[in-house]
Amino acid sequence: MTRRGPVAQAIYSLFAWTVVLIVAFPLVWMVLTSLKPQFELFTIPPTILPQEPTLEHYARLLNETPFPLYFRNSALIAVGTTMLVVVVATLGAHSLVRFAYPGRRWLAQMVLFTYLLPSVVLIIPLYLLMVWVGVANTLFSLVIAYTTFALPFALWLLRSFMAAIPDELEHAALVDGATRMEAFVDVILPQALPGVISTALFTFILAWNEYLYALVLVNRDDARPLTTGVINMLTSAFNIEWSLLMAASVMMSVPLIVAFAFLQKHLTRGFGAGGVKG
Amino acid sequence: MAGVRLEKIHKSFGADAVAVRALDLEIAEREFLSLLGPSGCGKTTTLRMLAGLEQPTSGRIFIGGREVTEVAPGRRDIAMVFQSYALYPHMTVGENIAYPLKKRGVPSAERKAMVARTVDLLQLGPLVDRKPRQLSGGQQQRVALGRAIVRDPAVFLLDEPLSNLDAKLRAHMRAELIQLQKRLGKTMVYVTHDQLEAMTMSDRIAIMNKGELQQLGTPDEIYRRPANRFVAGFVGTPAMNFATGRMTVADGRPAFAGAGLTIPLPPGHPVEGEAGAGGRAVEIGIRPEDVVVGEGPFEGRIRVVEPTGHETIVLFAAGEADLVTRVPGGIALKAGEAVRFRVRAENAHLFDQADGRRLGAAAGH
Repeated sequence: MTRRGPVAQAIYSLFAWTVVLIVAFPLVWMVLTSLKPQFELFTIPPTILPQEPTLEHYARLLNETPFPLYFRNSALIAVGTTMLVVVVATLGAHSLVRFAYPGRRWLAQMVLFTYLLPSVVLIIPLYLLMVWVGVANTLFSLVIAYTTFALPFALWLLRSFMAAIPDELEHAALVDGATRMEAFVDVILPQALPGVISTALFTFILAWNEYLYALVLVNRDDARPLTTGVINMLTSAFNIEWSLLMAASVMMSVPLIVAFAFLQKHLTRGFGAGGVKG
Repeated sequence: MAGVRLEKIHKSFGADAVAVRALDLEIAEREFLSLLGPSGCGKTTTLRMLAGLEQPTSGRIFIGGREVTEVAPGRRDIAMVFQSYALYPHMTVGENIAYPLKKRGVPSAERKAMVARTVDLLQLGPLVDRKPRQLSGGQQQRVALGRAIVRDPAVFLLDEPLSNLDAKLRAHMRAELIQLQKRLGKTMVYVTHDQLEAMTMSDRIAIMNKGELQQLGTPDEIYRRPANRFVAGFVGTPAMNFATGRMTVADGRPAFAGAGLTIPLPPGHPVEGEAGAGGRAVEIGIRPEDVVVGEGPFEGRIRVVEPTGHETIVLFAAGEADLVTRVPGGIALKAGEAVRFRVRAENAHLFDQADGRRLGAAAGH
């Protein structure tokens, strides 16, 4: 950190806070709107704080709409994808780093290459594949679809973590009587924990927020996740239920905010480690 | 019987990178054997093959009379101390030491007792609940030893365990290791590139170079009767003096002539039996302590004087050769001075220039 004079300091602060406000405003507005009764939304001049704060939209959302079902679907998809990606990516990254086999480097590069394809390109083939396998229109199809684009990034992120763990630790565990799998679980995994947490968070967020695949791959109402479900339920050609939509948005954000709050420390460490080893 | 035997061990990485070539080595029970050599000589690869972390390309490995060539590291009844110590960073000292017991299914109560004994032995008591990163290098080293000792293996494998310590601590740990080995009465295989460690600690030393065993012998044998030019040059500080030349005859005796010096060999010199004369191309090797300055038939000029306290290392030029000698500290010598010196020819070694073999070695000298 370089030292700055008080004027420069003030300018930096002003700039930073401006950016923060610009970013935060829609979020704050979302929360405020969700607490306003419907009639207050379109008053002119607009009110900033709700004059008669109410939780009626939340109650309606939970009791009168399929919101809880969508929420459950999203949770299942996000947790399922996260678990699948973390298991496959940790083992895969370890293999890419530690085991010598022909085509190892090539494999790692091909994995990255798949990540470079725009996801739109893959939707139709994936959909046909799901239909062919017979899992189209299920939560499972979304878990598989999200795994296809979370996995390459996860592999590369974890690869850099795994590469930074000295070989000797694993060898020590082997000499101490551990099997390869035990050495991996007892010694490698705890060392790679920040990477695993970053990977898990990244995957969870991706699976939780995804819209396009959910829109194309699932068109049965009881298998919709929050992203497509809420839009489907609250918007029609004639009307958008703004306050319900805002309440839904708030509730959709809660799991991510909670996860971030707890794991933010690991996440920043994780993204740092991707670039600078050690 | 917990000896170790390597039979025709060969290890290559890919087509041209041979790490270890046709190595035969037998290590007796309770022996402290050092594998000594420059980096890349194959000593660590040999140790890793013993540990089971590396598979030999061909050859067989026996530990305690049992063939273990294909046996997993954890089932070989060995323990290993790594150069980096390889302590598990997320476990406390106590957990680190207990880990090998846990993996062998030792019941919890027994495990605690065994860890406690090891902790006592290595005086790690106050550190048991600390994490490795909270320890000094010397303490980490002791924990690594503790993790090896705790389960009472047949053979200890140590890979340059002292190389990360500072000089003072290293001397201290050397002594501790020797005592520990005597007390435990276990076979130890110790890899090092530090000849001082090998000389001071070992029962026998195996010197390796470029994947091949150069000589296997006691420290004294290695020092006094090096098998070849490589061993002679590698062991000893300051290094042995070398000069190339030919065998000749002076005053009716075999003599070395080269680099402007003619050194007659006394009766009984090992070289006598083996082609003493005849113009053979040889290299003479003389330890610094066998070059005696003060008086003698040769003359030289001092180039550098390096006082180290109790002795002084003197470099001087004689003929076309540069020679090193050591004299007791406090003797006043200056660079540029002329000195007279003699050579204890009875201790001089002659090496064949073609293959580096020491002449006379075959006769058992």
